[in-house]
Amino acid sequence: MSNKDKAGVLQGTLDLMVLQTLATLGPQHGYAIAARLEQVSGGALQLNMGTLYPALMRLEQRGLLRGEWGVTDNSRKARFYAITAAGRRQLGAEKAEWDRMADIMRTLLHEQG
Amino acid sequence: MATMREWLRRLSGTIRRDRADQDLEEELRLHVELLAEAAQRQGHSPEAAARRARLQAGGTAQAMESMRDQRGLPWLEDLGRDAQLGLRMMRRNPLFSAVAILSLALGIGANTAIFSLVNPLMLRALPVREPAQLVELLSKFPGEPRNNAFRWNVYEHFRDHNHVFSDLIGLLPRRAEVSGDALAAETVSAEYATGNFFPALGLEPALGRLIRAEDDQLNADVVAVVSWSYWQNRFNHHPGIVGRRIVVDGAPATIVGVAPRAFRSVLFGSRPDVWLPAAVGRRNDSRFALGVVGRLKPGVSIEQARAEMRVLDRWRIEEAAKTAPFLRQLTIELEPAGAGLSLLRDYYGRPLLALMAIVALLLLIACTNVAGMLLARGAARQRELAVRVSLGAAGFRLMRQMLTESVLLAGLGGALGTALAYFGVDALVRIVMSGRGVVGLAGPLQQIEAHLDAEVLMFTAAVSLLAGILFGIAPAWHALRSAPAQSLRETGTAGDARSKRLFGRGLIVAQVAISLVLLSTAGVFISHLWNLRNVGLGFNRHGVLLVTLDPSRSGMAPERLFQPYQDLLSRLEAIPGVRAATLSGVTPIHGAGSARFVNVPGFQEPPMARQYTSLNWVAPRYFETFGTPLVAGRDFQFADQGQARVAIVNQSMARYYFGDGNAVGRQFTLDGQDRAYEVIGVVGDAKYLDLHNAAPRTVYLNAFQESRMFSHRFSIRTDTAPSAVAGDVQRTVAEVMPAMAITRVTTLADQVDASIVPERLVAMLSMLFGSLGAVLVGIGLYGLLAYTVSRRTNEIGIRIALGATRHDMIKMVLAGAAGLVAAGLIVGAPFAWWGRQLASRWVVNLPIDNPWPIAFGAIAMMVVGLAAAYLPARHAARVAPAEALRHL
Repeated sequence: MSNKDKAGVLQGTLDLMVLQTLATLGPQHGYAIAARLEQVSGGALQLNMGTLYPALMRLEQRGLLRGEWGVTDNSRKARFYAITAAGRRQLGAEKAEWDRMADIMRTLLHEQG
Repeated sequence: MATMREWLRRLSGTIRRDRADQDLEEELRLHVELLAEAAQRQGHSPEAAARRARLQAGGTAQAMESMRDQRGLPWLEDLGRDAQLGLRMMRRNPLFSAVAILSLALGIGANTAIFSLVNPLMLRALPVREPAQLVELLSKFPGEPRNNAFRWNVYEHFRDHNHVFSDLIGLLPRRAEVSGDALAAETVSAEYATGNFFPALGLEPALGRLIRAEDDQLNADVVAVVSWSYWQNRFNHHPGIVGRRIVVDGAPATIVGVAPRAFRSVLFGSRPDVWLPAAVGRRNDSRFALGVVGRLKPGVSIEQARAEMRVLDRWRIEEAAKTAPFLRQLTIELEPAGAGLSLLRDYYGRPLLALMAIVALLLLIACTNVAGMLLARGAARQRELAVRVSLGAAGFRLMRQMLTESVLLAGLGGALGTALAYFGVDALVRIVMSGRGVVGLAGPLQQIEAHLDAEVLMFTAAVSLLAGILFGIAPAWHALRSAPAQSLRETGTAGDARSKRLFGRGLIVAQVAISLVLLSTAGVFISHLWNLRNVGLGFNRHGVLLVTLDPSRSGMAPERLFQPYQDLLSRLEAIPGVRAATLSGVTPIHGAGSARFVNVPGFQEPPMARQYTSLNWVAPRYFETFGTPLVAGRDFQFADQGQARVAIVNQSMARYYFGDGNAVGRQFTLDGQDRAYEVIGVVGDAKYLDLHNAAPRTVYLNAFQESRMFSHRFSIRTDTAPSAVAGDVQRTVAEVMPAMAITRVTTLADQVDASIVPERLVAMLSMLFGSLGAVLVGIGLYGLLAYTVSRRTNEIGIRIALGATRHDMIKMVLAGAAGLVAAGLIVGAPFAWWGRQLASRWVVNLPIDNPWPIAFGAIAMMVVGLAAAYLPARHAARVAPAEALRHL
């Protein structure tokens, strides 16, 4: 149960991070996405597989990503995820929403502080 | 939108497994490998790197599980697993499963079959605008069936003076002869419709236009609208049908359009091919009458409309009472007509609702029965369930598993029941159609459309699901409550909780009680039917063959039929096995008759009390043929022909007009005639039009004294089965009058039965369902007793070892069964009593004072109980003490 709750809190944020990563870097496999997020967060964000892959699957089911098997630079078989047009639209909308929310939170926390 | 797509993908993922487990595993393996390589690059040893990678990635198994959940719909997959397990459990107990499924199939099938008749007749709305606003007008005379038939001037009066209907429409079903270019002349089903008919119903043409107000004028050109199916069958959907000239009943008409496809008729069971303006009917028939339907104005209730129409109706009653004062007893009634007009509802509505209640109770017995069996089996499965609980199965999951099993049973029962109903519905429709039809507007009833359509199947599915939950919930709850530790410790044979045993017995008691209600209700309907068929008929319905002749195309004038008919009668009486032969204008319970006012010199009566007297024109030996006793005077003779006019009256007529004095020798005239008839005989009262009304005052006249012969119904009293002489009779008719057509051959018993189809249907089906219920109770009781005896084998062995006789053991088991049945009877008796009151309110003239139906039900249940106890009792008596004690 508690596992699910954590995933729930993270879910929207994680979706946004994954979409943004794929929008900037182009098609990536799961490990590359995780590594990129870890790198960007300075090691603060270490995703385990149980969080990352179901999220990728969900985004794919929603038609925001498209997953295809391909080959990595050193000739390994991997599943690459690419953002779709619907995914870009979603990303745009969520980005705006996120900024709005962040502004509100900042203002609120500032006043309270 | 995206979420919706996700769910669709997940649903298809459940069914298709679009990404296999292998595929997912491969993706995860790569992730771990890449992590390990990264760690190695940071200088870790391969082993340490692999360990770090596994730690950071998290468990592969958990990730797989989350992905599987995300891939499909986990609850759906669980359901599939539960269903598979349920099917396995069923296969393991084939006898139990077969009995349970069959019980449920009978219950659900019966409900499906009855509902498939109730739905079109009472529930399904007409495919017209706002069908709920439609009401039908019905004229009612005390003691007679209601009728939706109003003369044109009455319709006009209602239409122009009411304030409650936004539209008042009229229609009349008729047969019409249609011909035209490239159209073979044929008789089709037609309907006269008033000019506002189609607009008021909000119907749009499929092609061309529909009948409009200006078409319904006496001087307008005749237009015709055809049905979609007629357009399809006769014109192959050719759009050129609009403007086609046809000939309807000898008059030219122009087809102007096609009615919408979904619309058949507002008249239930009718499928007209052609609609014509009502003006056509008015031109041809001065007594033109039509069925009237109103659309309530928004906000007007049916009660308000009733009140207003009662006031408006005074005009009609006064008009009618000018010629027949007793018609002041006429009233007008309004009924909802959103499901279409049907006098069938008056005849079948309540019987069908009674049957619906009966089959619901039957299903309840079946459910209770299966619940009892599941409960007993639950005891056997307790150890399995306890093990599963100990191994960590959540109580909720177990309960769901049990419910899935019971719903699965119900589903299979429902599927089999639907198959049973498929044949049942056909039989039901055949029975209903075998009736003589209803009088009045009903017109030609073509076909009752009762199918196992989508609505019925949805009903069946809902009933099955409900049944599955109903009988599954108690056993599931019991299974859940069984404490795992205790069950595992005990040996299983003694693991029954006391409450569960009581519950099992309670189920049997409930079944006996419901069954008593069913059987006693069936008993009421059967005794009602018996009374209708046998009490106060005034004639003997057995052993009479009825043959109707039609001389219209024989070339024989009615004035010249006397001698051939007399010859035919004597030839018929010469046929071996024939005791008497006669002819008459009306035969008993045919449903059609003739009536007049009678004037008796010196007899005074208040105008309101003046009523029609039924008439029949008969030949000599009529009363002998029908077994109606001649109480005084003499029968008619052929020799009366040309003599002074004579008549025979029944006892009611004699008592009413001639008091206690002898009617023989007295005289009367028929209203509107001045020639007098002399009464020469008095006969017993006999029912005339139908069985539900007492014998009316009746006058019999000699068919051979009229100027023309218009009685063509021959009746033959036989010593053997009447059908045995039918061939000889038809040959004899052909010999005497080769050109004569025979239009109908039947028996009096069949004619009587055709008039009471609703009563027969209810009696037959209630008995059938009552018997099925009793058999189910027997099976349930047998199951419980067999289980109890097997559980008590040890105890019985000890008792026998201690000196109890086998006789004592038999007595013990039988007494147990009798106790359960008796408890059920005590519980059921008040309900049976109440059910009988209900039934008597629904069906007139029910013999409610008769205690026999309940006694019959009680005795039948006792017999069933003892029969069910027989095998277990014998089993108990055969327990070998040594064998039983070894198992202790």
